Amino acid sequence: MNIFQLVLKQMRQRALSTWLTLLSVMLGVALAVVIMLIRRESAVLFGQTDYGFDIIVGAKASSLQLVMNTVYHIDRSPGNIPYSVYKQLTESPQFRPAVRMAVPTAVGDSYQGQRIVGTIPQLFGMEDDGITPIPANRTMQYRPGKRYEIAQGRVFHGQKFEAVIGADITKLTGLKLGDIFKATHGLPKPGETPDIHGEEWTVVGVLKETGTAADRVLYISLPSFYAMSGHDYAMKAQAAIRQGIDTSRANAPGPTTAYDVRPDGTIELHLPESDWALSAVLVKSRSPFFASQMMYVMNNGQQAAAVNPASVMREFFNTFLQPTTRAWGAVAYLVNAVAIVAILVSIYNSVAARIREIAILRALGATRRRVMLTICLEAGLIGLAGGVLGIAAGHLLGALVSGYFQQTIGEGIRWWIVSREEWLYLLSVTVVSMLAGLVPAMKAYRTPVADNLAGV
Amino acid sequence: MAVTLDSVFKQYVAPDGSAVPVIHIPKFALLPGEHVALIGTSGSGKTTLLHLIAGILVPDRGRIVFSGTRDDARGSGSAVVPYSTPPGLGREVDISQLSEARRDVFRGQNIGYIFQTHHLLGGFTALENVQLGMSFTGRRVDVGWATHLLTAVGLADRMHYKPGKLSVGQQQRVAVARALANRPLLVLADEPTGALDPANAQQVLDLIRTLCTEVGASLLLVTHDMTIANQLPRQVMLGELNQPQVK
Ligand SMILES: Nc1ncnc2c1ncn2[C@@H]1O[C@H](COP(=O)(O)OP(=O)(O)O)[C@@H](O)[C@H]1O
Ligand SMILES: [Mg+2]
Repeated sequence: MNIFQLVLKQMRQRALSTWLTLLSVMLGVALAVVIMLIRRESAVLFGQTDYGFDIIVGAKASSLQLVMNTVYHIDRSPGNIPYSVYKQLTESPQFRPAVRMAVPTAVGDSYQGQRIVGTIPQLFGMEDDGITPIPANRTMQYRPGKRYEIAQGRVFHGQKFEAVIGADITKLTGLKLGDIFKATHGLPKPGETPDIHGEEWTVVGVLKETGTAADRVLYISLPSFYAMSGHDYAMKAQAAIRQGIDTSRANAPGPTTAYDVRPDGTIELHLPESDWALSAVLVKSRSPFFASQMMYVMNNGQQAAAVNPASVMREFFNTFLQPTTRAWGAVAYLVNAVAIVAILVSIYNSVAARIREIAILRALGATRRRVMLTICLEAGLIGLAGGVLGIAAGHLLGALVSGYFQQTIGEGIRWWIVSREEWLYLLSVTVVSMLAGLVPAMKAYRTPVADNLAGV
Repeated sequence: MAVTLDSVFKQYVAPDGSAVPVIHIPKFALLPGEHVALIGTSGSGKTTLLHLIAGILVPDRGRIVFSGTRDDARGSGSAVVPYSTPPGLGREVDISQLSEARRDVFRGQNIGYIFQTHHLLGGFTALENVQLGMSFTGRRVDVGWATHLLTAVGLADRMHYKPGKLSVGQQQRVAVARALANRPLLVLADEPTGALDPANAQQVLDLIRTLCTEVGASLLLVTHDMTIANQLPRQVMLGELNQPQVK
């Protein structure tokens, strides 16, 4: 019988105490691991330096909200900007040279809880007709080197009631290529009666999976977005407020329909372009220099704010996530310290109860050091086994967190990756457990053999 | 293996701090393969003497010398693999001069110890207890020999029982098998039959003697039961041997 078998047998003998100690170590390590995981992965998730576009132009409000809303499709839009901002970006001599590409987006409606985004076919690399490709260097990327691609069908026509859906939409809503759907105003909460617009869109394309929030979005053409009943009205009022015009005049009943559909299916909006509103414009600048210059000019103006999504997210990460995870990390260390004290106490008690057995082992020829080693090994094994289980449990928790992220921002985390940091943590938990074993081991070490053999 | 005690003196410190001399043996020798009964009244120091010989305790003065080691006493047995010999063991070893760790190893390799109560480990089966006796010698565990011993003590069908499921007599027979696990050259038995009824006592005594003879071990058996003592070739009265009050 070797020393390991001896230790394992003794652990089995007091299985309940062993399991409970193991459990406490497991919980501590799981907590630490899931925190490491979240810290590591949120750094990846939110620490991206390149979103494929380097500027988001939107309402002058919370820049974090703007980024969250535009990139991750969570939170409400912080407000609207006039369509003219987009026009300026692409046409004015001031901005035009700095902008490689700009894509307008408008949000505010949903289909079965999934967001609808009004935009232009150029986001997907096509001209307005939805079928003619634009030069690759002018195509928007959602991640460095990654462009949206069509899995089925084609990109929507820029002027028709057509939609392209994200890869997860079919799974989430049942909508397939060729299906027709209606939009719901806003994002009704559960139990709220949805306010469904009368217009109908045809799904003409399904996007390939991107692994981003875009997988959960239904994209429609911008004019079709504006055509939705009520939008015209609201935008008109907003435009009126912006221009300082008496709103009561804007509230006067307009034409009964907001649009007409031409024979070829394209939309003729009655609403003048000056009343169009956008939630944001994604901009790919020609260089970081142009980008910062443009942001400066934009931010000094009245109409809109321009932010760099990477730096906004980095700041969010540094000022909020990082300290939070650090605090949780401290909690995890504490839990681990408690777990290791639990090992110490449990083994100390077991040694106290086993003094006679230890004396017997000594009489059979076990040296003091051997006995000490047995006890430290037992402590270390509990630390190791608890640690391994803890890493497994931590990653399962990580999978849950990933699922939650997937739900909210459309991007999961790589919960299965066991980092070097975790292995080091396991090692240190094992070593510290063994050291904790030294306390009971010393007790065993000092046990006088002769005295403890006497008893019956 | 022969054991020679030479002016061995041991005293305890009583709780009040006074010295309690227990052992003072000017001369005692146990010859190789010899079976000796050590007889003494309760509290006369029998256990203390066995602990001294086993190296569990060290004398305050005197020498306890083992001669005729495994190497020259007997060729390596069926499955006994060569082991590292403590320095000086080739000829004579004064166990009282060895470090504690060396004494432990020496005891594990050369001495089998049987207690009055079985002192088996409750969480381990009979077979595992015997194997445990083999675990601290640095030699390979010899399962065949452990099985042989348990068969020899009549427990072939109880090998996987834990001590709690065995009778007192069976427990003591497992303890006998464990004491012989390393083919010791010396077996020290401290009132091994003290807790048993006469029939079981007789059986255990016979087993101890048979197995000691089988492995060629010397036997020093402590008892206060003369019917037991008289069955051994030599009887020694501790009272005559020991003069603790004489310094
Ligand atoms: N650790 C000790 N401290 C003090 N006195 C002890 C200790 N162990 C034994 N003694 C005393 O030494 C004497 C011999 O004890 P022991 O060797 O156990 O006798 P026996 O085995 O012959 O009954 C007893 O009087 C006992 O009280
Ligand atoms: Mg005694």
